[in-house]
Amino acid sequence: MSKSSRGILKVAVIGLGKMGLLHSSLLSVLPNVELVALCDKSGMTRRVFKSFFRRVQVNDNLEDLYDLNLDAVYITTPIPSHFPIVKAIYSMQIARNVFVEKTLSSNYDGARKLYALAQASGGANMVGYMKRFAVTFKKAKELLNGSILGDVVAFSAYAYSSDLSETSRGSRASMSRGGVLGDLGSHVLDLALWFFGDLQVESAKLEAVSDLGAEDSARFRVRGPNDLKGKFDITWCRKEYRMPEFGFLIQGTDGIMSVNDDNVELELHDKKPHKWYRHDLDDNVGFLLGAPEYFREDECFIKSILDGINMEPNFYSASRVDRIIEQVKNEAYESN
Amino acid sequence: MSDKRSMRLLVGDNPFHGISHLSQERSRARGNAVDNAEYAAKLVMTALENGADGFMFSVSETTLSILQEVCKKEIKNLSLHAIVPYAYEYVRLATQAGGITGLAKKIGKQVIATMNVKAIVTGLKGVVRTDPISLMKAYMLYEISRIRSVTRSKANLDSVMLHEIITEVGLALNLDWFFRSYIDFMWKLKIQPGFETRNFAYLVRKFKEWDIDFRKVAIVTAFNRVGFQMNPSKIECEKALSTIPESNVTAMSILAAGYLKPPEAIDYIRTRPNLKGVVVGVSKEQHARKTFELLKERLGS
Repeated sequence: MSKSSRGILKVAVIGLGKMGLLHSSLLSVLPNVELVALCDKSGMTRRVFKSFFRRVQVNDNLEDLYDLNLDAVYITTPIPSHFPIVKAIYSMQIARNVFVEKTLSSNYDGARKLYALAQASGGANMVGYMKRFAVTFKKAKELLNGSILGDVVAFSAYAYSSDLSETSRGSRASMSRGGVLGDLGSHVLDLALWFFGDLQVESAKLEAVSDLGAEDSARFRVRGPNDLKGKFDITWCRKEYRMPEFGFLIQGTDGIMSVNDDNVELELHDKKPHKWYRHDLDDNVGFLLGAPEYFREDECFIKSILDGINMEPNFYSASRVDRIIEQVKNEAYESN
Repeated sequence: MSDKRSMRLLVGDNPFHGISHLSQERSRARGNAVDNAEYAAKLVMTALENGADGFMFSVSETTLSILQEVCKKEIKNLSLHAIVPYAYEYVRLATQAGGITGLAKKIGKQVIATMNVKAIVTGLKGVVRTDPISLMKAYMLYEISRIRSVTRSKANLDSVMLHEIITEVGLALNLDWFFRSYIDFMWKLKIQPGFETRNFAYLVRKFKEWDIDFRKVAIVTAFNRVGFQMNPSKIECEKALSTIPESNVTAMSILAAGYLKPPEAIDYIRTRPNLKGVVVGVSKEQHARKTFELLKERLGS
């Protein structure tokens, strides 16, 4: 296949919601990329996008992408459609490099199968866990890699937003977004797996606020390597969180560290605390849209294709997130 | 000192929406007082009494209520600089209305509810033909009518800026035709068109490429000593600014979201040629008074 002779990657985006527009725009400013096609089922959405993306093919059928000799495809459709679409992309050989917005699949079995397909394709793959590209979480990972806290013994993690804080009972908004674990919680789960390694769920509780059977809040405990203990608190019903916020408090034998989207604070025993804000961590990017991490994420995926190296967060790391989500749900239903 | 700059000083609305780019914790710590319309209007008035020349705000129910309160006071010719659309509100509405299609229907209903015939007819034309220019015009007429319905004759709507999300997407997709239509349309309404951006160097490069006259547009963008939100870099943004002396650029985030103290922030702004104004948000009365006194002394006319 097909990186053109000019060294420019030909890319298509499937699913033209908020994330589809964001990635299409960022891909349009990245060097070495040519956005050649957009795909969406909705006729109205296609008409609107056609009027703005005048030099790009806009269609409603995956088969129409086959002849385009694509280098990569971005999939930004709702989560339940990820599995059939990614499977079709690989089996129809539309592209061997695939980016999928999180979560990879709606269950662990699907995620494992997609990982196997990606392995067989030999291309690069990535899942949109963009928090790894935030400067504060990158700094925390760097500090943890340097064992600055000594042995990590415990952590608590949270993911809060007010997205559904004013949603009335009976609303379908929660269900249509697939529940808080996949939507909001998956980011903090991915960060936890990245920071600490493999985790096993020990106990879990899910709560419905908006509708019977909805998953609006999740609290669960995990166990990690070397007897590490962790707990998670995830909800999209906290009124005061205008923007989604993710954070950790990590306790080690030599001190504690807290990290969220805005800052990293380190308190080592017998030393003065130190705090880094985004301002201190070189947060500028080539083009800012939404948040700097989106640009870095797309830049990283394109680079991984050009360099032929599969970077994280890839289908393997994302399948581990889907596994934990499944464990949390199973544990919560069993204990109910 | 004799080297005082003569800049337009605007009070901004970020704290009234619970926004702090330094940390969300900080915005939560401010509590609910700042989103109370009466309290926020008092802060705007304090800023105006102490040197602010006008008010820059995103058009939302919150800011329109504040504006209504401000206009009850003894003011004349208040200078207004609006930013549309208020993206956060629309993303939230899209979440609740079930996506972009649900949101479009909701906005359509709101436009019809204004009974603004021009906006309705232009909007219908846009929907039938899927014509982005007609839709943009209908939307602008709708937002302007919302502002004027609360300000009446007590304020001048001097400029209307496209929110950064629209500006950045337009830049990324090379929508020169859209920007030109927007500029022409706003001038026909006798309002200065503007652009909010956090990709200032990129915008300057594109506008030069598209031959857009910098004298005809207002730009609001981040300028601060630590390069916060100055993309791709502080140096590139400073260079870009130095090439457009004829422009009308207002600096935002001059305090880098509270990371810098006002005196050091102002020292940096004074060294930037071609900046024509600054916008600063305030969340406490004392903060409003002291900040604008200082801004007036060091930068104002």
